[in-house]
Amino acid sequence: MSGFESAAAPASKSDAAGARRGPRSLLPGLAAIALGTIYVIALLVVEEQTIIIALLAAGIVAAVAAHWTGMLNPVASSFIDREQVLSGAVVAAVLAITVYFHADHFILLLVTTILLYVLATLGLNLQFGYAGVLNFAGASFFGVGGYTAAVLSTHTGMPHFLVLLTGGVMAAFIGLLVLLPVLRTRGHYAAVVTIAFALLFRTFLEVNDVLGGPQGLAVPGFELFGWSFNRNIDLFGLQLSFYVNYLLMALLLVIGAFVLVRRLERSWIGLNLDAQRLDETAAICFGLEIVRWKTTAFVLGNFLIGLAGALFAMMIGFIAPTNFTFADSLIFVSIVLLGGLGNPWGLVVATAIVVIIPEKLQAIQEYRFLLYAALVMLMLLFRPDGLLPRPVRNYFPGWRPR
Amino acid sequence: MRKSGFGLTGALAALALAAAMAGPAAAQDKDTVKVGFIGPLTGGVSANGLGGRNSADLAVKLRNEDAGAKYHYELEVLDDECKPNTGVQAATKLGANPEVIAAATHYCSAVAIATVGTYNRFGLPVVVWGAVLPDITYGNDYKEVHRVNGTMINQNQVAAEFVREQGYETWVIIHDTTDYGKGHDQYFTEAVEGLGGEILGRFGVTADQQDFTAELTQAKSLDPDVIYFGGLTPLGVRIRAQMDKLGLEAQFEGTSGIVSDAFIEGLGPLAEGVIAFREGAPTEKLPGGQFFLEKYNAAGYEQPPEAYGAFAFAAMNLILDAIEEVGPDRELVRDWLNNVQGRDSIVGEITFDDHGQNTVALITKYVAQDGAWTLWEDSEYATGQRKLTGQQ
Amino acid sequence: MDAGLLAQYVINGLMLGMMYALVAVGFTLFFGVLDVIKFSHGDVLTVGAFMALATYIGLETVGVGAGLPQLILMLAAAILGTALLGALIARYIVMPLRTAPPLNTLLITLMLGTVLRESVRLFYPQGANPKPFPALLPSDSVSFGNFTLRLDNVMMLAAGALVIVAVQLLLNRTKLGLAIRAVAQDEETAKTMGVNFTLIVLITFALGSALAAFAGLMNGLYYNEINFGMGLLLGVIGFSAAIVGGLGSIYGAILGGFLFAALQTVGAIALPFASAYKDVFAFAVVIAIMAWRPTGLIQEKISERV
Repeated sequence: MSGFESAAAPASKSDAAGARRGPRSLLPGLAAIALGTIYVIALLVVEEQTIIIALLAAGIVAAVAAHWTGMLNPVASSFIDREQVLSGAVVAAVLAITVYFHADHFILLLVTTILLYVLATLGLNLQFGYAGVLNFAGASFFGVGGYTAAVLSTHTGMPHFLVLLTGGVMAAFIGLLVLLPVLRTRGHYAAVVTIAFALLFRTFLEVNDVLGGPQGLAVPGFELFGWSFNRNIDLFGLQLSFYVNYLLMALLLVIGAFVLVRRLERSWIGLNLDAQRLDETAAICFGLEIVRWKTTAFVLGNFLIGLAGALFAMMIGFIAPTNFTFADSLIFVSIVLLGGLGNPWGLVVATAIVVIIPEKLQAIQEYRFLLYAALVMLMLLFRPDGLLPRPVRNYFPGWRPR
Repeated sequence: MRKSGFGLTGALAALALAAAMAGPAAAQDKDTVKVGFIGPLTGGVSANGLGGRNSADLAVKLRNEDAGAKYHYELEVLDDECKPNTGVQAATKLGANPEVIAAATHYCSAVAIATVGTYNRFGLPVVVWGAVLPDITYGNDYKEVHRVNGTMINQNQVAAEFVREQGYETWVIIHDTTDYGKGHDQYFTEAVEGLGGEILGRFGVTADQQDFTAELTQAKSLDPDVIYFGGLTPLGVRIRAQMDKLGLEAQFEGTSGIVSDAFIEGLGPLAEGVIAFREGAPTEKLPGGQFFLEKYNAAGYEQPPEAYGAFAFAAMNLILDAIEEVGPDRELVRDWLNNVQGRDSIVGEITFDDHGQNTVALITKYVAQDGAWTLWEDSEYATGQRKLTGQQ
Repeated sequence: MDAGLLAQYVINGLMLGMMYALVAVGFTLFFGVLDVIKFSHGDVLTVGAFMALATYIGLETVGVGAGLPQLILMLAAAILGTALLGALIARYIVMPLRTAPPLNTLLITLMLGTVLRESVRLFYPQGANPKPFPALLPSDSVSFGNFTLRLDNVMMLAAGALVIVAVQLLLNRTKLGLAIRAVAQDEETAKTMGVNFTLIVLITFALGSALAAFAGLMNGLYYNEINFGMGLLLGVIGFSAAIVGGLGSIYGAILGGFLFAALQTVGAIALPFASAYKDVFAFAVVIAIMAWRPTGLIQEKISERV
């Protein structure tokens, strides 16, 4: 039982460590967030291509230097220790960016897109990173949410918040239908099924006139208790772009999902998921019901994806089958892999990179699929854990692995 | 440059921009005004998109060379890939940018019909230069949307009259499932049935479909005189080629979507004898056509203007005229455009009706002869030296 | 429906089946040898087709004779090119990841497929547009009523059948085939027996990729057109066919390929919106088959029971 003993010893030391956890442990994290925010604002503001390239190069150099000199470790620790406060700080940073760009439609649209992609990839992360279920149809389920929102908000009087939730439910339901036949089989069969679904979703939509066909559907804007999200806001004489509405809504959803995912990870459900992902045979031996856990994770993950898709559709105002192709699904997968399988913070960083850079660096717009795929390949060959690898599970509060 | 008032980065950016502008600063006495262009620059119909872009670019260039112009113009070009959602994205981008005053937009009808709501939402006045679906102007009351080229209603009316005159009786219609293809199906059916023609069957196919053996085999069993195709060049090429493979011998009739060099290049000898129709006269025969072609060739663009380049040129010029007269203000430009009556342009007189639609009465009939689209009247088919399929 | 129409459909189905079978056999070979699902297979097919086209264009500019000599040269170029590509993929991308979880190999080959596809689209001149492919086989045809039998279709069917038979012979009657099967069965023992593992793996990948190139060329000749996205759906279909037939079994792969084509044809005839839903229908049936017999119609060699 030596394992227990050595675990018990640090437990007492952790109280001492806890006493040391004063405001100092917050500093590295806060500093990182502040620097990051300034960098993002700069990147978004600048339009001159050469300056953008310079900024990006500087960013990469700084990140690599920080990694090599070990400066990132205190940041990582402070995130692990004081996650709640730092999460709040990140939210504050997002709000700061919103205030800075209050009237700029396009940038706010970009930020909200990032938030919604984070929401969707949180769902994918739940499926891939925690439960080990391959889902190559992320964009298609995103589309399910979007189309549900389109149909419901155009043809019924359902309150829009419920529409969002229904979008999530539809995605979860259809995901269940797709997955059920192959749950008892090995990993790569699930992969084929989701790939086939991804490819065929688009074809299915295109021949279906009820769902608008290739022409797509116009989606009415979101309305909450009579407040239309498509109207610019006038706050104390300041004109705010109507995208601020969507941004705040997306932020709320992301916060909710983030908390949910974190809680789940730390709970016994998360333990079960990790167990069956790492070694299915051993898990079965311990009595875990694989099918039940895989299904739960998949359904929950899809719910988040559908939710994101529904709000996205209402924000853009228009969806078509070509919004949700297989290539888009692969982008979602790339984000999850680049960010670090299982680490929600990695998703935030990876999504920001994936969305902002092609927009700013017009030259690579054409090449972005190629670049992401190549990056992921390099990642898989040399750093399979991703940019921000998932930290080792914290079994005891305050315990740190030696 | 956006939001450069804040902070260090703003100052840096401003410095950099000033440095970049130091060179050609001499010519920059006038304010710069931005105008936009959206078209399919990549994908199956990119030839038309690029031709349109070059034409719009030509208009802006010529205007900038004009010393009497009040402003210096900058053209912002975006690609809609002939896909509705990409078009909406591009439209959002232009619309959300307050510096863009107006834009010449879209060749693909499927995209144009999807973006009208976006232009209205952002209040960006636009002039469509190539999309022919009637609903783009007639399906809504948006004051921002105008169009210089004609719609497909006229085109199909003339087409129906022509083919009935040639003695054809039965048709099978193959159309793509976008609003463009469906529109053609609708208007042609109305027109040809009104003249006593019979539609034996119709098939809707996806815009990127590869294999038509199922549809064409069924069509073959129906034994029609003519296969009418409502859709764009890439599909047209495939269908015509596979018709030949399956031994389906019927006359192939198309719409403005296949009047392009790419269609003939894709088919080679199989293109011979295909008939198609288009609004407006061929570029050389337009009132300002020669002038336009001269300037276009002098500017040395890599791609030809294609069928709708002249319209893109006219659309952009209209926008530039508007800005010259009322200044760089979206609402004023929009109102000016709504009042355009009898204005001269290289495509003839432009008058926008209450829906912003220009009436273009002339429809041109084409037949593919010896590897080029030839005017019907000038072809050997009209004189009887060559025969269309199924004719004695 | 009359006999002629039915016969037409049958011929179409056979052509499709042949192409799917070729791709499926490739998948099975890779899986058998390295336990690896190489998702980039379909896109290797696309590369092969484009190589053939590029060779054709090159030959045309140089002025080499028309018809058969061109075809042979194109075939040779495509096969050699893709064989090389396949070997490189095996050496530098698949083999380094042998010790990693299988998920990684799956993902990396999927991404590789995207890289290949996008590279063709971006770097081949006008790659985003569909490209006309020359019709190099004689196009004479014989008509029986509604049914038109074209000589080139017959030739392609025959060629495809020959290739499959050749692969079978290679695997079952030659020393190389013996080595491949040995490696597929048990890597360690094969090595102990003196089989050069790395070499065999490279050869297998080269062989599978060459098959893909052949399928790509056939595709081009059949539709007279190729485009950068042609490999994606073909790859997924080939993979599904291989699975349905039972991964690891060559006969299963062939069976799966023709089965899928048959499903598509039936779907095209029976369903109201001809071509559009046929893919959906075929995949739905495939998924149903997978649910019923998870390890394929011809059982996979390994099984796990807890």
